[in-house]
Amino acid sequence: MFKYIIKRFFMAILTIWIIATLTFILMMSIPGSPFNDVSDKTSNEAVQENLEAHFNLDQPPVIQYVYYLKSIATFDFGPSIKKPNDTVNELLGRGFPISFELGILSIIVALISGIALGVLAALKHNKIIDYMAMTIAVLGISIPNFVLATLLIQQLAVNLNILPVATWKSPAHMVLPTIALATGPMAIIARLTRSSMLEVLTQDYIKMARAKGLSPYKVIIKHALKNALMPVVTILGTLLAGVLTGTFVIEKIFAIPGMGQYFVQSINERDYPVIMGTTVFYSAFLILMLFLVDITYGILDPRIKIHDEKGD
Amino acid sequence: MNRKWLLSLLTVLLTLLLVACTTSTGDEEGTNDDDNNTEENENNTDENNDEKKILYLNNDSEPTSFDPPIGFNAVSWNALNNLLEGLTRLDQSHEPQPAMAEDWDVSEDGLEYTFYLREDANWSNGDPVTAQDFVYAWQHLLDPETASSAAFLGYFIENGEAYNAGEADADDVGVEAVDDKTFKVTLETPTGFFLDLVSNPAFFPVNHQVAEENPEWHAEADTFVANGPFQLKEWNHDQDMVFEKNPEYWDADTVQLDEIHWAMVNDTNTEYQMYQNEELDTSSIPSDLADELLDGDDVAYEEQAGVHFYRFNVTEEPFQNKKIRKAFALAVNQKEIVDYITKNLEKPAHGFVSYGFTDPNGEDFRDANGDLIQTDTEQAKQLLEEGMAEEGYDELPEITLSYNTDDTNKAVAEYLQQVYIDVLDVEVTLENTEWNVFLQDQKDLKHQFSRSSFLADYADPYNFLESFVTDSSMNRTGWSNEEYDQLIENARNETNEEQRFEYLYEAEKLLFEEMPLFPIHFYNQVNLENSSVSGIVRHPVGYLELKWADKN
Repeated sequence: MFKYIIKRFFMAILTIWIIATLTFILMMSIPGSPFNDVSDKTSNEAVQENLEAHFNLDQPPVIQYVYYLKSIATFDFGPSIKKPNDTVNELLGRGFPISFELGILSIIVALISGIALGVLAALKHNKIIDYMAMTIAVLGISIPNFVLATLLIQQLAVNLNILPVATWKSPAHMVLPTIALATGPMAIIARLTRSSMLEVLTQDYIKMARAKGLSPYKVIIKHALKNALMPVVTILGTLLAGVLTGTFVIEKIFAIPGMGQYFVQSINERDYPVIMGTTVFYSAFLILMLFLVDITYGILDPRIKIHDEKGD
Repeated sequence: MNRKWLLSLLTVLLTLLLVACTTSTGDEEGTNDDDNNTEENENNTDENNDEKKILYLNNDSEPTSFDPPIGFNAVSWNALNNLLEGLTRLDQSHEPQPAMAEDWDVSEDGLEYTFYLREDANWSNGDPVTAQDFVYAWQHLLDPETASSAAFLGYFIENGEAYNAGEADADDVGVEAVDDKTFKVTLETPTGFFLDLVSNPAFFPVNHQVAEENPEWHAEADTFVANGPFQLKEWNHDQDMVFEKNPEYWDADTVQLDEIHWAMVNDTNTEYQMYQNEELDTSSIPSDLADELLDGDDVAYEEQAGVHFYRFNVTEEPFQNKKIRKAFALAVNQKEIVDYITKNLEKPAHGFVSYGFTDPNGEDFRDANGDLIQTDTEQAKQLLEEGMAEEGYDELPEITLSYNTDDTNKAVAEYLQQVYIDVLDVEVTLENTEWNVFLQDQKDLKHQFSRSSFLADYADPYNFLESFVTDSSMNRTGWSNEEYDQLIENARNETNEEQRFEYLYEAEKLLFEEMPLFPIHFYNQVNLENSSVSGIVRHPVGYLELKWADKN
């Protein structure tokens, strides 16, 4: 187990280095400059040179690359070019907890409602409840979350006036964005749970359990659901990494000061330190989540042994 | 093993359930709170005499910086304009009035300005505002180490450009504190609009004692010192800001509002929905709803000094030919574009300098210089023929029209494409790229024919016209004309205002004689404003002004 973790750790570092290098090359090859202002104000050569010198952008790319590797190694990405008051670390430190809060709420809502819907649909296979649950799931997958978000705001906030429109202040402000963000993952989880539950329910050990006279509840929770959750755990890693590090669209619509905005904004503005910071942070987080998923497999299903890799 | 497993799974599920329950009860409480809040707000407006007057505004996003030379954009300077105050301040009719400076003298040659600061001008921490504060701030603006994008605004000051380019020292810059309350500025050239220019946030003073002690004084609410109508009470980065009335402000009696709450909502639809829900007092107009909303009686309209136009690249065929350029310009009907395509109440542009600049005779620059381009499809056809004959073309080289990706830009470009087929029988190809790539290509003269915009940095026609002198970074057409350069140079050095305007009139006429560009429309600022709000001033050049704002 310990050996396995060490191995994964070095793999992770290698992966991050490759991602960072690719990002650097891509970033440097897009035309444009961080000093091309959005409002296209008057620019001046002396002014431009001062700015470039200030942010080390007058150095040759190789030197800049070395700076970047250093900043990744020390996890200190320096000041943002477009927000000179803040370092990239400060931006992430401020935005991530908020994105994380929204993400965790949404994942919890998605897991509970998704698993419940999936189990219900599987148990009432080909009955009206199954069709209803799957209709909800299909809608959840096919309605983009920004449409849902705007709809929710218009109905619940503007027309009925029971919830605030946007911003991130009180628990009431969290309801709409949580629903909007949870719906997609919920639908995916519901469909996965249903199909794997249907598969598990036909297996011999379930028949055996029933034949032993166990209560239906016990059979479903203890025997069926545990195995049926494997595919859900598999996608949970990617889902968590995606949702917890912030989503641009939902955060923009609800004016939530999370870190999702930086992924898109930094690229539009060519804010190089922020591009590197967000990319490396996201990659590291995703790798961590995938690692946790692998560990969870072993706990959930003792047949999977993570340390036993002598076969290859 | 199994039992243990079931237990832990149950615990997890229970925790999740509990969390879900607490969140939902929390939500209900939150909802109630919110209802109470809205009720309180309503009460506020009912019996506002003893209650606080709070204005709810949206700043779009986090201000880049409240360090005056760094925050060179609307999200920083709209707010900062109400926290700090320069030597002059623009009044309701956009004219500079005494502010930190009570009075001033100008030398005969127009090169020396002596400002006398108010005795009762103080910082919010009680320090007096001194001439040293201005010296410190203006040197900070021009310091190459500061790397300010706004530094070029200080190039009118003697040695300002040299210091910024690293060729002179800070002490060479023409700013001097004669005594605590007397501030003397020496200019490079007589600058007729200097009093207007110093109302700009780039020229705001900085409390030098505070700034020397803590260079990051501007980054947080508790270290920020103000000298304007409001002071910074709270600043939750990326979330919101609270301004409160500054009791130390010299003209505090004029200020009506007790607090301003700034949200940071960067989505026009959300902003509008918050306005509908009375969470905001003003809002911009989502373009999808423009048709119905522009007819409402809560629309606040103001001009903006700037112009939407198209640049020809005169170094690329076929636009090296003046007649062909003119043909493409005259075929366009500006009025049709604003009436049927952009539909935001803009004024069609028949010149480059926008409305709102008065010459010494009291006439508006735009009216005085007249319409320099008028749609004329017959002449356009004829010019194209003549131009093609001059160049020996049987057929025009391929033409690509470029614009940066945006729905409105696309609609205008498609209109132009159609017009050129209808009027000139010429097929142009459309091409769009993302803003940053587009701008880089335009600066590198890689476009043939491209969409452009100009927003004035200070309130003078000179700012518009200086863009097209040879090799200006704003030129981007490859066009160069000695006579034009000379006219702009003359205007820069002229002390007689009448003569100075004469040079500018001539320059603009010459620009349209040569037509390296053609205008579409002037910009404006259209906002929705709650009827209980009054006195918000939006300057055509410059920044949001809340000194006179009130809410009933």
